[in-house]
Amino acid sequence: MNSRLSTWIILGLTLTFLIGPFLIIIAAALSAGNNLAFPPQGLSLKWFIKVFEVESFRASFGVSMFLAIFGTLAALVLGIPAAYAMTRFKVPGAETVKLIVSSPIIVPGIIVGLALLQYFVIPLGVGIGLALFLAHTALILPYAVRVVSASMENLRVDMEEAALMLGCTRFGAFRRIVLPNIRGGVLAAFILGFVTSFNQVPVSLFLSGPGLRTLPIDMIAYMEINYDPSVAALSALLAFMSIGIVFAAERFIGLSRYV
Amino acid sequence: MFENRAIGLALVLPAAIFAAALFLLPVGILLSEAFRTETGWSLSAYGEFFASPRNQTVFFRTLKLATLVAAVSAVIGYAAAFAIVSLPPTSRGRMFGLVTLPLMISPVARTYAWLVILGRTGFVNQILVDLGLIETPIRILFTETAVFIGLLQLFLPLMIISLVSAMENMPRDAVPAARILGANWLQVFWKVILPLTREGLVIGGTLVFTGSMTAYITPAILGGSKVLMLETLLYQRVTVANDFVAASVIAMILIVMSFSANLLLKRLATARKSR
Repeated sequence: MNSRLSTWIILGLTLTFLIGPFLIIIAAALSAGNNLAFPPQGLSLKWFIKVFEVESFRASFGVSMFLAIFGTLAALVLGIPAAYAMTRFKVPGAETVKLIVSSPIIVPGIIVGLALLQYFVIPLGVGIGLALFLAHTALILPYAVRVVSASMENLRVDMEEAALMLGCTRFGAFRRIVLPNIRGGVLAAFILGFVTSFNQVPVSLFLSGPGLRTLPIDMIAYMEINYDPSVAALSALLAFMSIGIVFAAERFIGLSRYV
Repeated sequence: MFENRAIGLALVLPAAIFAAALFLLPVGILLSEAFRTETGWSLSAYGEFFASPRNQTVFFRTLKLATLVAAVSAVIGYAAAFAIVSLPPTSRGRMFGLVTLPLMISPVARTYAWLVILGRTGFVNQILVDLGLIETPIRILFTETAVFIGLLQLFLPLMIISLVSAMENMPRDAVPAARILGANWLQVFWKVILPLTREGLVIGGTLVFTGSMTAYITPAILGGSKVLMLETLLYQRVTVANDFVAASVIAMILIVMSFSANLLLKRLATARKSR
């Protein structure tokens, strides 16, 4: 058996299966026809332009962006102190706390969305927008704590101790010593959180209404009614956005070191 | 390590309270829904849920598809991981990047692609008709096959990643040594590769299995109401029938599955650290 040849055949087939569909989406999005098809009927960029003209896509893109940015920031505000405490202090019940904070990863998103809607939003009269924000924050919190904790663990404690001995306050030591040193980890957590939140569907499923939808939910709703290539164009654009963000992150901060 | 417990606790509490109030409490109430009846606590909701033939079908279909996806991704994963590990370092890194690339793409986009490929006027049907293999387009969408293909494509990268990292930890000479000693490839796999990568297989298998069990988008788009899985059944029960008891039972099944998988992974991780 020619092992070099078989290696490349196996990899070729695997990549065709994994990446081929994505290339087909791009091709279908470049179609000049009005129906979703591959191979495309003629070439044009009209569906890529149409995407920006669909009112609901613009609104839901804004919602998703807002959730991804501010939900992740909120998760970091909660998560950084928690990660700091768990790697630097003897916290009573640390294991329990860890389990509670990481529970959002273990529980499937659709259940979280439903439970929040039924036992938090409805009884307390909370707005659906706020609920979406809180749900996305909670969803990202485990990632924020885990990634930031990992980079705190790599940071030697004696630098902080030195700062404290030299008369720095504990907060001062955190701000001047810890924060600058875990910058990469925080950025990695932000990017991971952003991409996770932006692509998230199940959590938002029950927490979306006609007036307020995240972009992926809106795309699903659109493709149930329309059979044109605009969702293909949007999918391609979003994929390039995610890949671009992750690649830039890999290049500048070495994302894969943190996750 | 600082000794001050009060400060530590104060720093952890906001996150813990947030997760508890927004997660544990609502999810706990949802789970308790199935045990509460007018006369007190009972398990009858579970009996009723599993007595329904439709629910049984969905339950076993979900288990079957998740098992099948895990098994097939293991087979493809071993071939792909072995091929990746045997590449020279630079192309190995590049290939690893290409395999993980789909993980960054929105699952909606990845699932949507299969509509184009598997649809009635889709790519596959066109080829089959053009080749004269079939006369009229066959239905592939909204079958278990479509859901299976979608899930496999969604989760295969996780299996490959787990197996690649397991194989990178394998002693470099193990496979050549076995070959020189006269083992054929099947023997090499069973006696050398499989035992040495068992941990990676378990990790990958658990990720793929739970991922497929708890997937929503793929069965929703590629299976529709014809091929319900547990998550799509939950959605349908709530939105169509307002049936929170069924939702509660399904939630319990999914959480128990997901939680035990997590425990297993954690145990493996700590076992590896202490070695």
